[in-house]
Amino acid sequence: MPDEKPKPSFGNVQSGGSSTAPAAPANAPAAPRTYTVVAGDSLSKIAKKLYGDGNKWKRIFEANRDTVKNPDLIHPGQVLKIPDA
Amino acid sequence: MVSHPLRIWSTSCLTVLAICGALAPLSACKRSEEAPAPQAAPQAVAFHVTRVDLGNAIGADKKVTAPSVSFKPSDTIYASISSEGAAANVSLSARWTFEDGQLVNESTQIIAPAGPAVTEFHISKPDGWPAGKYKLEVSANGKPAGAAEFTVTD
Repeated sequence: MPDEKPKPSFGNVQSGGSSTAPAAPANAPAAPRTYTVVAGDSLSKIAKKLYGDGNKWKRIFEANRDTVKNPDLIHPGQVLKIPDA
Repeated sequence: MVSHPLRIWSTSCLTVLAICGALAPLSACKRSEEAPAPQAAPQAVAFHVTRVDLGNAIGADKKVTAPSVSFKPSDTIYASISSEGAAANVSLSARWTFEDGQLVNESTQIIAPAGPAVTEFHISKPDGWPAGKYKLEVSANGKPAGAAEFTVTD
């Protein structure tokens, strides 16, 4: 059995940003946030990545009921709508 | 009585000159009052990303000072995203991944550009970036808008 290289942790990555363009007004309708499924993803993994809580997978499932019939079956490349946490 | 030919010529000529003199300002005036040629109205340009540059520093204009695709583990990595077009609300996202797609970071800025703009995203890792290949994918309102690849070497 080949040795698998352990995956590095990026949990302590710090990020930020700024723009020469003004920030959109807070009351402007926000564009829907999306997430593209990659190999090995599950709804709970995505919820963990994006919300920090894998138990919030149902929020993603509910927001995508039109395209996700079975919460255990999502496909790489599939684009999911991500509701606010 | 016989008219003097020279006098007839002079009178006629003066009359013609007087009419010309009276009309000249009118015609000049008419020219100046002509409506200017219609100019094409500026067309609204839809928001779109024109460039994605990477570097380890940015200037006040948010552009990377020295574009690069190779970094040291201690670098802060900046992505400078140039765009054109106006929009009331653009969700601009940067998704950084490592090697086979492992998520490094994902962040979003909601901007309202009125024209050309530069938006920067940056990431850093206090204990240093693992060596390897990385990818940045930029999306605007959830649609792919640009990408860049880079490497970190010890």
